[in-house]
Amino acid sequence: MKKISSNRKKNHLALAIALLLTASLATAADVNFSGFLSVGGGMVDDEDAVGYGGYDEDDLTFDRNLLGLQVTGQVNEKVTATAQLIARSNNDYQVDAEWAYLSWQANDSIKVRAGRLRTPFYMYSDFLDVGYSYTWITPPQEVYYLPFNNVDGVDIYLTGTVGIFDTSLQAYFGSFTDELTFSGAIADAETRNQMGLSGTIGKDWWTLRAAYHQADLTVDVTGSPLSATTTIGSFANTLRALGFGNNADRLLVEEDDVTFTEVGLNIDTGRFVAAAEHVEFDPGDALLSKNIREYVMAGVRAGDWLFHVTASKAKDEVSHPETGIPVGQALPVVGSTNVLIGTLQAIAQSQVVERDVLTFGTRWDVTTGTAIKFQFDDVDSPDVVLPTGTISGQQKVFSVAVQTVF
Amino acid sequence: MKKLLNSLALLFVLVAANLAFAEVAVIVHPSLGVDSLTEDDVSRLFLGKAKSFPGGAQAVPINQNEGSASRDKFNEAVCKKNASQYKAYWSQLVFTGKGTPPKDGGDDAAVKSLIAANPNMIGYVDSSVVDASVKVVYKIP
Repeated sequence: MKKISSNRKKNHLALAIALLLTASLATAADVNFSGFLSVGGGMVDDEDAVGYGGYDEDDLTFDRNLLGLQVTGQVNEKVTATAQLIARSNNDYQVDAEWAYLSWQANDSIKVRAGRLRTPFYMYSDFLDVGYSYTWITPPQEVYYLPFNNVDGVDIYLTGTVGIFDTSLQAYFGSFTDELTFSGAIADAETRNQMGLSGTIGKDWWTLRAAYHQADLTVDVTGSPLSATTTIGSFANTLRALGFGNNADRLLVEEDDVTFTEVGLNIDTGRFVAAAEHVEFDPGDALLSKNIREYVMAGVRAGDWLFHVTASKAKDEVSHPETGIPVGQALPVVGSTNVLIGTLQAIAQSQVVERDVLTFGTRWDVTTGTAIKFQFDDVDSPDVVLPTGTISGQQKVFSVAVQTVF
Repeated sequence: MKKLLNSLALLFVLVAANLAFAEVAVIVHPSLGVDSLTEDDVSRLFLGKAKSFPGGAQAVPINQNEGSASRDKFNEAVCKKNASQYKAYWSQLVFTGKGTPPKDGGDDAAVKSLIAANPNMIGYVDSSVVDASVKVVYKIP
C-alpha cells in the first residue's frame, strides 16, 4: 500500500524511539514489558442485508485479532520512553508503532510527552485496543468511528485533587498523516494544527469527561468514483469550469476547519456499571456531514460475569455543498443546474449515517487477566437503494472475543 | 447433645480465631511522620490517584503477589475491586503511560521486610506478622 512520504518519516521517528528502547534494554536499565491480546470473531444473521462491525458473512469468521506489546524504558528518574507495537489481523499482522513517545514527569502532577500519542477523542480512547480493560468487545462504533486515533505531537497531562474530587486535564498539539477509505477509495488524509483539550472530574465510582478538538483537515477525495467515468475530482473541475468555484471548494476537503466535541459519564460501583457519551463532529465547509452520535450503556456484575445492554445512535446532519447554485438554469453540456444540485446533494447524502443499534453482551472473567465476551447487536438503519436493488438496513450480528493482558 | 454443643463451641473458637488472623494491617516504616491514614488515603495511593503521603513525603505502594489472601482482602475492602476488576483498572492506566501499578513484593513476610527497610514504602500484611519493625497506619477489620 502506498504511504505518503511524511508518514514514512513519522514511522521512522516511531521506529527510532523503539530502537532507543532496545538500546536501553541492552544497558539493562529499568525496562518493563506488558502486552495485550484479543482474538475475536463474528457472523451476521442475514448475508443479503447491510454488513456491520466488519462482519458481512453468515459463517463465523475469526478476523478481529490483535496483539499488542508495550515496552517502557526508564531513561532516568524523570524521563521514560514508551513504545506500543500492535499487529492486527486486518492489516496482515503488519507491526505498527501506534504509540511511541518520550515522557517527562515534571512532578507528581505534571507529565509532558512528545512523540506519537493517542488522541484523547473519547473516554475509552487511551485503551481502545486493550479490550480486556472494558466491558464490550469494542466500544460502540456509532461513536467510536473516527479514522484518526493517533497524533504526532506533544501533550501535557495534569492530575490533581480539587476539593474532594479527582481531576485531570490533558492538552495537546500535533498533526497526523495517514490514508483512509473514503466512499470506497483509498484517500490520503492529514490533519494540521490539530489541538485539543480533555478534562475529567470524578470521585470514587463516577467520572465525568469533556473534550474539545480542532484541526485543519485535508482528505484527498478527488479519486473517489461518482460513476464509471467521473470522480469527485473531475466533477469539481466541471463545477469550476461552469463558474461554481465556491461549490467546488465545498466539495473538496482541503484545509477545512473541523471541530470535535465530546461529553461522557462513566460509573462503576462494583455491582453496577454504566457509561454514556455524546459526540459531535462539525465539518466546517467540507461536504462531510455533521456527525451527531451517542450511546448509553448499563450493566450489572454477578460474580465473574457482567451483563450489559447498550443503545447507540448515529443521527448525522447532511451538509449543503449545493448552496448558491441557482435552480433550473440552462447550462452547456450538463443541461441544467439541477443536475449539479442533484449530484452535490447525492454526494452529501452519501456521507450521512443514520443508525440505531441495541447491543446485549456479557463479559466473563475466566481468570485474572483473561475475559471471554459475547455480544449481540441488533442494527436498524435505512435500507440502501442501489441501481441493482435494495439492501436491507436491518441486521443482527453475533460476535465473540477472548481478551487478555499480560 | 453436649458433644454437639462442644463441637459448636470449638467451631466458634476456630472461626473467631480465623477472623482475627484475617485482619489486614496497612504498614509503613516506623520513621514516617504519619501515624494513621484513612481508607480513602490508602485507596488513593494504591489506585495511583495520589503519589504522596498526607504531609508530602513520597509514597511507594507495594502489593502482595497475585493470589495472596491478604491482597484479595485488601483489594476488596480498600480498593473495592475484585482481582479481575483491579487488573482491568490498572490495564486502563498501564497501556496509556498514565500510571504504573504497585510492584508485587511477595507474601506477608516479604512485604513486611521490604517496608521495614524502606522509609517511603507502604504495604499491607496479615496483622499476625506485624512487629516493631513496621508501623500500622490503618487496619482492615
